[in-house]
Amino acid sequence: MRAAASSSPRIRPLRWLTIWLLTGVSLAFAQPDSEPQLESAYLVNFLKYVEWPASNRSTATICLFGRDTLGPFLSGHEGRVIGGKELRIRRVHSPDDMPSCQLVYIPDVEEARIGAVLRWIQGMPILAASNADGFARSGGGIELLRNGGRVQFIVNAESLSRHGLNPSSQMLRLANRVIGGDR
Amino acid sequence: MRVLHAAFAIILAVAWHPAHAAQDDDLSLEDLTKTEVSSVSRRNQSLSNVPAAAFVITADDIRRSGALALPDVLRMVPGIQVAQVDSGRYAVSARGFNGRFANKLQVLIDGRSVYHPFFSGTIWEYDPIPLEDIERIEVIRGAGAAMWGVNAVNGVINIISRHSRTQAGGMVAATLGSNGQGQLYTRAGGSIDADTTWKLSAQGRHAEPSRQLANDRYSEDDLSNGVVDFRFDRSLSGGSDFRVWANAGKSSLGDLYPLTPNPLNPPTLTPVSITQKISTQTLGGRYRWLNRAGIESSVQASIGTSSIELKGAFEVNNTQFDIDYQGRYSFAEHDLLWGASHRTVSDEVWSRYVVEIGKAEFTQRTTGFFIHDNWTLIQDTLQFGLGARWDQTNLGGNTFSPNATLMWTPTRKDTLWAKYSKAPRMPARAEFDVTMLAGYLPPPNPYLPAPYNLLPVVFRAQPGNASLRPETMEGFELGYRSQLSQRLGVDVSVYRYRYSDIVSSAQGNMLFPVFISGVPLAVQNLDRNNDGNGWLSGAELSVDWLLAPTWRMQLSYACTHVNMDDSANPVARAQGLKEERSTARHYGSLRSQWNVSSSQQFDAWIRGSSGIDRTLSPYTTTIRVPGYVTLDLRYAYTLNKDIELALTGRNLVGPRRIEYVTDFVPATPVIIEPSLLLSARWKF
Repeated sequence: MRAAASSSPRIRPLRWLTIWLLTGVSLAFAQPDSEPQLESAYLVNFLKYVEWPASNRSTATICLFGRDTLGPFLSGHEGRVIGGKELRIRRVHSPDDMPSCQLVYIPDVEEARIGAVLRWIQGMPILAASNADGFARSGGGIELLRNGGRVQFIVNAESLSRHGLNPSSQMLRLANRVIGGDR
Repeated sequence: MRVLHAAFAIILAVAWHPAHAAQDDDLSLEDLTKTEVSSVSRRNQSLSNVPAAAFVITADDIRRSGALALPDVLRMVPGIQVAQVDSGRYAVSARGFNGRFANKLQVLIDGRSVYHPFFSGTIWEYDPIPLEDIERIEVIRGAGAAMWGVNAVNGVINIISRHSRTQAGGMVAATLGSNGQGQLYTRAGGSIDADTTWKLSAQGRHAEPSRQLANDRYSEDDLSNGVVDFRFDRSLSGGSDFRVWANAGKSSLGDLYPLTPNPLNPPTLTPVSITQKISTQTLGGRYRWLNRAGIESSVQASIGTSSIELKGAFEVNNTQFDIDYQGRYSFAEHDLLWGASHRTVSDEVWSRYVVEIGKAEFTQRTTGFFIHDNWTLIQDTLQFGLGARWDQTNLGGNTFSPNATLMWTPTRKDTLWAKYSKAPRMPARAEFDVTMLAGYLPPPNPYLPAPYNLLPVVFRAQPGNASLRPETMEGFELGYRSQLSQRLGVDVSVYRYRYSDIVSSAQGNMLFPVFISGVPLAVQNLDRNNDGNGWLSGAELSVDWLLAPTWRMQLSYACTHVNMDDSANPVARAQGLKEERSTARHYGSLRSQWNVSSSQQFDAWIRGSSGIDRTLSPYTTTIRVPGYVTLDLRYAYTLNKDIELALTGRNLVGPRRIEYVTDFVPATPVIIEPSLLLSARWKF
């Protein structure tokens, strides 16, 4: 009992030091650093840099197809207002879910189903994005790729225009590569 | 108390900083393209919306583990128990019932089972695929029989190979290490046109013999493995694709089997040198397509031959043909999957000495169908899954495996799931047909009156009077997964399973005296039956924590408790007790991955297991395999984006130890030694 009492004043500075150190570490984290965090930030940004056909929706919805790898990282953005629209996140599984999406994200673990999802959204004003290798070349809209220590993106301008989407010139300029289109 | 305070402080400081997540989208697209991914975790380890205890091992995890053999990679998965027997042999299982021939774990490479059809279980000593060619490994603990068929009782390991598109160019990776360990991997890949790519890789691996526990002399477990893997991929229009692969492997691994009764010293058996040779060849193809109605289909077929030879004692040659169809159709709230598969395995067996096979040739045909629906009851919140599989085989009959799941995701960060399943394990050809040495009891023997009590007893396992039935498991699982913050994720699961009709044996007749190598013996027959029954329960925890952008820790822990019924049959009761005592109660690991700078990585891996009791086969005596805690360290330096050098130390701390003693097959326990490995990877 006495031993415990006498040891507590020594613990306190240690504890505060730990908290202080780790808070410092946390603040140093302010920018996104892990791949899923960066990918999530990209998806939200795409909503700003791509123009959708005019509609009277008050929301913009990012749909996460199949096995969810980004949900926990996107949830922090949910409810934010992007380009005057409230951001919603949904998990989707079937073609009937698609009409409510503005952007559908297909993770690389669902690579086998890319063809099917692209078929489901044919002709709809939906931006398809994925981190699966070869996605843009096989008809997807935007492919996220790891290039050295960075996450970059490839735009398939032809696919975007087929969906009635208009990417900003700034976005095309920042892309690692643009397939089809004018450039 | 002090530890508790410190832990609380750390959790508070790291988990509680709501401000930072919101800042991500304030970065412009331009900022994002310039942001360096400083973090060590490239991918998510858990899949947040899967109603099962799932864990993903990424290619990065494999490389950073420093492991040369596939089982050593699996040690990081909570609930998977891995124990090294010698330089090439491993015992690997999910959720208890471990053994060198652990038979309740299904292993698939790109959807094709590598579970051996003659023995039950996976043969780990050969390398079915080079580790460098693996994209990821998805491990699901718990029953997967409703989809993957019989034998996926306690878990399924899905190995997914890399697409040849990602393997263009050349690569050489070489490792040299202590204990005569060496590995060389080479690869070439290219593209024929924008949609057609190929890859050819080859790997050789070697290890010198280990030291025996009993006398510190070298054993004979020198290992030489080779594997060649070819892959061709072609993307077709409209979401279809086509793939062909060819794979050939060879393995040679020596051993010392204590087998021959020693006339000069009857309590002991003299070791016999036996070399085990494995060779496999497989050719396969897969076609995936999408039809007009939106049905996604995949057909995969493969043909292969394999052989396992224990020089001078046993040889089995298999020819195998597999065909598998899977379909998927998503509509409204449903995601429907169905499939059919057929496998024909023709074997030829030759044996003498300690193993006898009833039928020298046999063709086993297995056909199965499954259907599964995932039904979203409440969008984003509640999903119900229901599925079943029916399998029919000409060795063992019909089995039915149902499965039901309920998954609740109250928030994006939390998932709670429950699963009911029933899974069969079909006894393998060897269990139906083999007669073999199962134990040796030196005199005096308690079974016979004088003067016969001076005869040593040889226990012989043989087929019983009634044909074996499939074993069944039925049970419940519960799991909770939560991403507490952007950097802290927790995954917990608990389960309770009931096992019935486990293959066991009963005391048969006794023959005496019988002369083997001129030594008189008594032979006690043990007739195989299905008398084993019992309960299995346990819990698993995994924590993934990014302490700093460049520092990640991952904890995995499992506790497992086997409680077999007290059978009226004394042999089954004794076997049940053995099962209980040979299951490690606690098993876990803590990995630390630290990117010291953009060109340097420093990783540490503390691993441990509680102790077990194993039978020192072929003797009937028990040997204690003590619990252990050991440490692996790895330092890697990247010269440029194409060249990496790494120094790895494995099993660095703790006393000299054995990790396992094999079952059924007589064995010489060997020491698992510390080792140092120097590796270089060069891409060009």
